[in-house]
Formats: sequence, structure tokens, C-alpha cells
Amino acid sequence: MREATRSADEAGMFAAGVRLGLDHLKLGMWLFLASEVMFFGGLISAFMHFKVNNPSPESSLLDVVLVGLNTFVLLTSSLTVVLGLAAIQRGDRRGLIGYLTATILLGTAFLVGQGNEFATLYRHGITLSSSLFGSSFFTLTGFHGLHVLVGICWALSTLVKALRAGYSQGSYLGVEVFGLYWHFVDIVWIILFTLIYLI
Amino acid sequence: MQMETQSPSKPRAGIRTYLLVFLGLAVITGVEIGLATVGLSRSLRVPIFIVLSLVKASLVAAFYMHLRSDARFFTAIFITPVVLILAVAVLFVIA
Repeated sequence: MREATRSADEAGMFAAGVRLGLDHLKLGMWLFLASEVMFFGGLISAFMHFKVNNPSPESSLLDVVLVGLNTFVLLTSSLTVVLGLAAIQRGDRRGLIGYLTATILLGTAFLVGQGNEFATLYRHGITLSSSLFGSSFFTLTGFHGLHVLVGICWALSTLVKALRAGYSQGSYLGVEVFGLYWHFVDIVWIILFTLIYLI
Repeated sequence: MQMETQSPSKPRAGIRTYLLVFLGLAVITGVEIGLATVGLSRSLRVPIFIVLSLVKASLVAAFYMHLRSDARFFTAIFITPVVLILAVAVLFVIA
């Protein structure tokens, strides 16, 4: 009898997504982000290895101030994501829609800034295959940009669901998990900005 | 269709905290850009910028990703690969 009750409790917890005492979706997201740490860790290690052992004069072409502004844009997008989450947590669906829209615009602005930087470097003859610096730089920043692009697509799908009243004061996990991804991409950029442009 | 659920976590930081964190991030970024244009010596520049970036990353993880208030297990999952990567980097430098 006790066994049957325990089994029913566990089935209930599983259905509620908290079988481990942790939300399954968030747990899965954190495990994915841990794998992403290893992914970017490898790319960053390669970049730093080349930067230390083969210092390139091409790195002087990088514009710290412009990229710093782009960094500011991405930091602001993290703020809009967390404000969107706070909005839906108090039942403000229009607030969520507004903040998600702002996030998409800011993410797009970041990609435009990065595209502009890439174009400038290309005009100076620095390409993916022109040198060790070009290869390691474009691979690292390109993969980060790709993550931002994926984040924008995810933000769009979250926005569509918000427009269809898919989130409410008691139901916002999708927004929270999207936020985890977006903030992680922001953290990666914080590290990249320092390692590539500042030191 | 997946059922949306609330997260079983402690109360979250308020909007005021989010704005203060953003202010901190913006100020640190401004300081970084300023220091980068000043032209510090390499021995001074490297530790300063690394510490500043770690502070920024920690602020985002603690407050925006809610690691400060969420289950400690999530922090352990996230920190473990970071420690692994840093350990490999330190070993690489020593070698």
C-alpha cells in the first residue's frame, strides 16, 4: 500500500517535471550550457594559444571602442530578457511582449555591429583563411554570433507564444529557460571581449 | 504540448536589483573601454581585465540567471566545466 502511494507520488512529481526536486527543463538547459562551456572553452583555448605564441599585428585593426558599444548592446539585451521574465511573473503579458521585442532588436543590432566589424576586417584582407589570427578570430567570434542568431530565433518563437497568451503569471518556464540561454551567450561575450579585444 | 510550470525556487531578485546589476555591468564595461584606450602595461592590464570580466560574468550568472537563489545543483553543473577548463589552462601555462 505504502509502495503504491510512493509510486503514485513519483508519477505525480514526474508529470509536474520535478522528479529530482529540480525542474527537468531547467536541469536539461543547465546540462546543455555545461556542454557549451566545454565547446567555447576549446575554441577560446585555441585562440589564446595562438595569441600568446603567435602574436599578430593584425589584432591592432580591432576597434575596442566600437566593439565595447556592441558589448553594451548585448548587456542591455540581457537586462530586457530578465525584465521580461519579471513582467510575466507579475502577470504583465504586454510587458513581456515589449521586452522580448526589445531583446530581438538589440540582438539584431549586435549582429549588425559584428557584421560591420567582419566586413571591415575583410576589407583589410583578413579572412577565415588568410592567417592564423583570421582563422582563430573568425571561428571564435563567428560561433558566438551564430549562438546570438539562434537566440534571436528562440526569442521570436517565445514572442509568438507570448502573443498567443502562452505564458501567464503562473506559467513562465519557457521564458526562463530562454533567458538562461541568452544570458549564457552574454557571459561568453563578456569573456571574449576581454580575451580578444582588451588583453 | 508541454505543460508550463513555475520553477521550484526561492523568491527572485526584484527589478531594482536587476537595474542595479545592469548599472554595475555598464560601469565596469565603461571602465574597461577607458583603461583599454589608456594603454596600461601588459603585466597590469591582464590581471585587471580578467578580474573585471569575471566580476561581470558572475553578476550575470548570479542575478540574471538566478544562480544566487536557485538550486545549488545548477551552480555545480555550471561551475564544474569552468573549473575543468581553467585547470587545463593553468596546467598548460605551467607546462
